[in-house]
Amino acid sequence: MASTKAVLDELKAACPLKGPVNLQLSTTLTTNTIVEGRGTATAAVVIPGPGVDLRLHGLDFPLFPLPGYVDHRGRVVAECEPKEAAAAAREAQRGGAEALAIVGKFSQRNPSLEQAVLDAVHNGKLKFSHISVGHKAAPRLGFPRRVVTAHLNSQVAKAQRKFADAVESLGEGLGSVRILKADGGTMTLAQSRSLPIESILSGPAASTMAALALTSHQGKSMVVVDIGGTTTDLAVIVQGQPLYAREGAVIGGYPTAVPAILSRSIGLGGDSEIHIIDSEEGGTRFRIGPSRAGSPVCLGGTRPTPTDAVVALGRVSLGDRSRAVGALKELGARAGLSWEAAAERVVNAFVSQLCAAIHKLYGELEGQPVYTLAEFLETPHLRPEVITCLGTPAPAFMRPVGEALQLPLEILPHSASANAIGAAAARPTIGLTLYADTALRSLSIPEMGIFQEIERPALFDQRKARDRALGKLREYAREVGLGEPQDMDIVSEESFNIVRGFYTVGRIFHMHAQIRPSAQRITGEEGVR
Amino acid sequence: MKSVGLIFFPAFDWCITPDHPEREERLLYTRDQIEEEGLLDLPEFREYRPRLATDHELSRAHVFVPNIRAHLTESHRIAAGGAIAAADLVLRGTEKRACALVRPPGHHSMRFVHGARGFCLVNNEAVMVEHIRQQLGPQAKIAIVDTDVHHGDGTQDIYYNDPNVLHISLHQDGRTLYPGTGFMNERGGPGAFGLTVNVPLPPGTGDGGLLYVIENLVLPILKEWQPDIVVNGAGQDNHFTDPLANMEVTAQGYARLTELLQPDIVVLEGGYSVEGALPYVNLGILLALAGLDYSQVVEPDLERVKPRQAQRVTDHIAWLVDELGQMWAGRKGVDLEAHFGKGKFFERKRMVYYDTAGITETQNGKIRLCSSCAGWELVESRSDRYAYATVAVMLPWNACPGCRGEAEAAYQEQISEKKAKKVVFCDPERDKVLGCTN
Ligand SMILES: [Zn+2]
Ligand SMILES: [Zn+2]
Repeated sequence: MASTKAVLDELKAACPLKGPVNLQLSTTLTTNTIVEGRGTATAAVVIPGPGVDLRLHGLDFPLFPLPGYVDHRGRVVAECEPKEAAAAAREAQRGGAEALAIVGKFSQRNPSLEQAVLDAVHNGKLKFSHISVGHKAAPRLGFPRRVVTAHLNSQVAKAQRKFADAVESLGEGLGSVRILKADGGTMTLAQSRSLPIESILSGPAASTMAALALTSHQGKSMVVVDIGGTTTDLAVIVQGQPLYAREGAVIGGYPTAVPAILSRSIGLGGDSEIHIIDSEEGGTRFRIGPSRAGSPVCLGGTRPTPTDAVVALGRVSLGDRSRAVGALKELGARAGLSWEAAAERVVNAFVSQLCAAIHKLYGELEGQPVYTLAEFLETPHLRPEVITCLGTPAPAFMRPVGEALQLPLEILPHSASANAIGAAAARPTIGLTLYADTALRSLSIPEMGIFQEIERPALFDQRKARDRALGKLREYAREVGLGEPQDMDIVSEESFNIVRGFYTVGRIFHMHAQIRPSAQRITGEEGVR
Repeated sequence: MKSVGLIFFPAFDWCITPDHPEREERLLYTRDQIEEEGLLDLPEFREYRPRLATDHELSRAHVFVPNIRAHLTESHRIAAGGAIAAADLVLRGTEKRACALVRPPGHHSMRFVHGARGFCLVNNEAVMVEHIRQQLGPQAKIAIVDTDVHHGDGTQDIYYNDPNVLHISLHQDGRTLYPGTGFMNERGGPGAFGLTVNVPLPPGTGDGGLLYVIENLVLPILKEWQPDIVVNGAGQDNHFTDPLANMEVTAQGYARLTELLQPDIVVLEGGYSVEGALPYVNLGILLALAGLDYSQVVEPDLERVKPRQAQRVTDHIAWLVDELGQMWAGRKGVDLEAHFGKGKFFERKRMVYYDTAGITETQNGKIRLCSSCAGWELVESRSDRYAYATVAVMLPWNACPGCRGEAEAAYQEQISEKKAKKVVFCDPERDKVLGCTN
């Protein structure tokens, strides 16, 4: 926190701006809290109903299952007993839980069982540092991910609250404060207190947003390559829009429902290990990674790395070149090659592994299941027109990658501080899910806690559903302090006739409305705010 | 770990007509259930895209009248292509087992296709089986166990005289349900007698009866016959909530059936209780395929309805299994001359009604009675929709040189006689389908 204050003071001194400074923060707080297992002790009270045994999902935190059953259209088949709910929460507390998650299957279609448990906890005067409810934390389909998301949200809530308090205590000179989310958008500090989980993995999101902010190929399709020391991260932009992970972010091995920019991390970086492989044809090949060797020899390390290869070849000047050449000589001797040949082959191996990873990623994306003929027959063209890259060792490795993939290469400026630029360029995003069932006369928007009756179901059509979704999104944006939103979209929608006994008895509408993530264009030094 | 490849294509934008049982909504709740359960987050499952079946792949199993384009939508191609994609996952060793949840279904589609029958136009399983045989070669033995509540009459038609495809159909007795066939005495043609096994179950059959048939008839038959691939045509209309049939089977019953049968490939057939059955039956089948615990998969209506099987049904099924077991055991000792005559050919005439399309077809067919192979076949087909005849001359897999020569001559003769508007020649071993329009 001291560092944020120092940066803020420095910024104020450096910028000839009048008035308060707006802050956009990309923090590793929640990510590290989860990955390092430092979160608040949390238990989950779950209402799984029948179906797949939740234990098959291998969740390694305390689960307290309760009876109760909501079906796929949100009808309560069996209620949840308040007494049992309170007893479960009490038991969780006795087991050491300080925070709680309450999650039911299909709770996004009907949260009444989750609400009943929450009421029982409150009525029982049970105190928890934070309680997350499933339908708010993870409103999309996917009960196990909902359990994980609500659970992790409760784990990190206290840490985020402290952080938010500290930021606010910076006091005078502070304008609006926004936190970067995994989906490349931002949220307000207040939102981050109730849904801190959305700030996980904002690092990869920031680099993608930086690419969007800085690229000269606006609106094009590109693969964003961020070469680091240990890993290289790949992200995909299709016609100017970042692609999302299909189900949600995965953190610390936990699959969550947190909307996130798709980012593929491969164990290939400037500091990766180099392995000698004797190929069948008698030649010697190198394989790079996936683990890290340590610092390059040119910077005082002990084992040769890809960085040493490009330094030895004189394509990058970094540290002590003679030490890099020495390391490559030793590697070459082991492989029966001159140091120059060894260095070239290391670079080639790096390039071919990276190209293979890019091909694999696109292959997977193009093979992703779709559920309509329209999507099947008109799968959008994803393939990149440009490779955009960030990261310090980028140019030496990326030129041959560009040649191999026959794509123009863009090396972004400011690449060392790309993360900060991405965070600064990000704009607010929020989204909501509308599910309306005119046969049951029910309409839900779980993100806003809306579960209401449709008054005139016969007149409720697709246009009304869309209008409602977009209208509520505008309201939601104002509610959380984001003002008048721009770029609102229905990003996906489905509608179905409900037919029973050869008669249409109603319709189901299911749609996601969203403010799409976008990046403010940044050009020149003044652009950085 | 048993890994399962799932090909799921609910075709959310395709229907026969908006209020038809085969409509957009059919797999909606199944999708919701699978996604809500997080099934694809389990390491045992991976989901794949279907693909479009090509004209050539479809023509290995069907003769379309007047032609493919007159009938097919992309949805049919994806359903058949989904089954092929599922088979490829298993054949290539990508997955241990595979399941194609695709629509529309296919098991009522016969060799000749003048239109849709029982919601089916393309026999997804037959197209898939022919694809498998092209990969595995002419000796491959494939068993199709059809557990849809309706008799798999289309599949039966295509494989009636094929000694390398065993077709076992469990269904509600044809006297009480569409399509009105599938009796015990339909046992296969002269070249594959006994390899069509029909199990007409009485209305009211529940989990107990269904599983009794699997354990005491189907599994012993499979054990003896030793197929290379077992395909399950998994219709879900035996369910106690199905609106079109009268059975009492539950999701638990279907899951246990799958666990017992251990099919390599499952292809969805019918099943029109879109809310009360499909989400739970599909879930149960998928869990069982992966060898996972399915004991908690319970339909919301189960407590209220309490499906059960009457004693007389149990007794009848015991008799049925006993009878069919004896028929199977004695199939090789049957006097085929008594069944098919002593002549050069076994001839038959029949009528086929296309309920979905409202077409009546008449067929005159003959199968060469051959001691060296299953015998070549000629079928002449007409319908009340088109005035002209279509003739198919079909070689069996592993045709003997004599049959090959005769069939080729018959094809040439049909072309020169110009009596039929269209003549088709099918040669599965060389993977050739020739067509000639007069
Ligand atoms: Zn059926
Ligand atoms: Zn022959």
